[in-house]
Amino acid sequence: MTFSWQRTLVVFRKELMDGFRDRRSLYSVLFSSLVSPLIMALLFTTMAERQRSADELRLPVAGQAYAPAFVDWLSQQSGITIIDAPANPEEAVRKGEQDVVLLIDKNFAAKFSRSLPAPVKLVGDVTRDTARPKVQRVRSLVNTYSSQIGSLRLMARGVSPAVASAIRLEDLEVSSAQQRAARILSFLPFLLVMAAFVGCLQIASDSTAGERERGSLEPLLLNPVPRSALIAGKWLAAACSGALSIVVSVLLCIVVLSRIPLHELGGRFHLGASSYGLLVVIVLPLVFCSSALVIFVAMLARSYKEAQTYLGLLITLPLLPGILAPLYPMTGKPWLAVFPIVGQYALMEDVLGGNPPAAIWYAVAALSLLGSAILLLALTTRQLRREAIIFGRG
Amino acid sequence: MIDIRNLSKSFGQVQAVRDVTFSAPDGAVTGLLGANGAGKTTTLRMLSGLMKPDAGSLTVDGIDVCAQPLAAQARMGMLPDARGIYPRLTPREHIHYFGQLHGLAGAQLVASTAALIEKLGLQEIADRRSEGFSQGERTKVALARALVHSPRNVILDEPTNGLDIMSTRATRELIRRLRGEGCCVVFSSHIMQEVSALCDRIVVIAHGAVVAAGTPDELREKTGCDSLEDVFVKLAGLEDDAEEIP
Repeated sequence: MTFSWQRTLVVFRKELMDGFRDRRSLYSVLFSSLVSPLIMALLFTTMAERQRSADELRLPVAGQAYAPAFVDWLSQQSGITIIDAPANPEEAVRKGEQDVVLLIDKNFAAKFSRSLPAPVKLVGDVTRDTARPKVQRVRSLVNTYSSQIGSLRLMARGVSPAVASAIRLEDLEVSSAQQRAARILSFLPFLLVMAAFVGCLQIASDSTAGERERGSLEPLLLNPVPRSALIAGKWLAAACSGALSIVVSVLLCIVVLSRIPLHELGGRFHLGASSYGLLVVIVLPLVFCSSALVIFVAMLARSYKEAQTYLGLLITLPLLPGILAPLYPMTGKPWLAVFPIVGQYALMEDVLGGNPPAAIWYAVAALSLLGSAILLLALTTRQLRREAIIFGRG
Repeated sequence: MIDIRNLSKSFGQVQAVRDVTFSAPDGAVTGLLGANGAGKTTTLRMLSGLMKPDAGSLTVDGIDVCAQPLAAQARMGMLPDARGIYPRLTPREHIHYFGQLHGLAGAQLVASTAALIEKLGLQEIADRRSEGFSQGERTKVALARALVHSPRNVILDEPTNGLDIMSTRATRELIRRLRGEGCCVVFSSHIMQEVSALCDRIVVIAHGAVVAAGTPDELREKTGCDSLEDVFVKLAGLEDDAEEIP
């Protein structure tokens, strides 16, 4: 099979110029590179916001007059500001106007002074994720107050407070904000793989299915250029736009994650520059394969629209391993690198998990992607000899 | 110089081209005349190297098209049936692209591009993106990019299809000029006036086969008809067909 680098470059330059004059390809690069950082930013800020809202709580309390000492104690706790309760607390919580309301019963003082359990109601909605940290905080404050007073009462009666506690339970919470943050980071491989596909989609389909639809494929093939060089040029142009998406995407992720006050989440997780570098090293070769796959599929379509239908289905394929990852963990299996796409997920999970695999596996992964790309390109080149492809127009 | 011998091609049950033989000499315009669906485009597609014949041979300047398609393509400039252009590229960029694909570069490419833009009257739109070009403008761009490498053999499939009077005239002028430069020009048409106005030699094709070939005078003599239109109708066997062209 003949090949020509020089002609490949001619096609590459033309497709790149043509592609970047096309608004649709700019949009697809823009969309695919913005979506990861934006989703990251959104998830992290929401999480930080919720954490902060539990720490700094404006707590509506009804019946403050019935228990001035209790209310006074509450207001002295850090971050707590006592405000007046709405007229109908239950309704307010149900409608989401308030996340939590504390109701002090009018019998509070009477029961309290007789050392009977004083009734206090906590109005909350367990189905609301945003409210949960606040409800937990208020409940633990009330419990603290209750046990402090209880201890004082026992001491006043000459009994050691320790007698009243058969068990001392200490909370060692491990699934804290830190872990939730790690879970958010696990979206990253998924988003980067998507960027590799979406970023090359437009140029790859416009230069194949679009070429057929416009009726410009036949004139193009009349030039004395090996078909392999035509396909290679189109492939390189598509891969370039995919690579651009990934690089921009990772750079924006770095900016976004450095702006988010991660320390407020109490976590010590942070991705170092080297981790980002490794992610890029893992995902970047994916554009070889993704653009070759899109070109192969789109060349079978007679029109741009038909290509969109096929590609809509195709794009779900690389996302499958990402979706299945929680069910079939791929950590610590760097040999998965021999499989295109699955390997990228496996390697990225290890990097994010803080155990970057040995250097050889990056090379294995890149070679496997390049190999599958060349196979797909050879198949596409063969397609380009079929008369149904050359002359069949949409 | 184009030489086609015993060319045949079938699509399933339909035999589109059967045993077609003709040659087109240099410095002359050879017209491929036939009704729609007679097999003209299929013949030219095989000549372009993009379609494999079932039988027969095609040579361009002695080069076998099937054996060395790229070498044969380098010696041809072809305006195919499909003349799609890139809407986001200007005519100048179209001509440049095809020139580079033919291996042209530098001053030679620039000069050749400029000459074609002038020859085809594309000056006003040369640097405008092709989106929204008229049929005539698109055909001119397709023609210009096909001729950028100054081919010795020019093949035009229905070049004046869909063109207005002025563009048709310009195209005819171009064909005459190419003949004057010593090129071998082959063009297909189903329009009598066109063929009679331009051709040195006519090859009449009907139902996939050559039914007559020769100079316009030879054909008139052979059929005993005065007008070429009658010659065409008689040779193409159109009078036998149920659906006559009015």
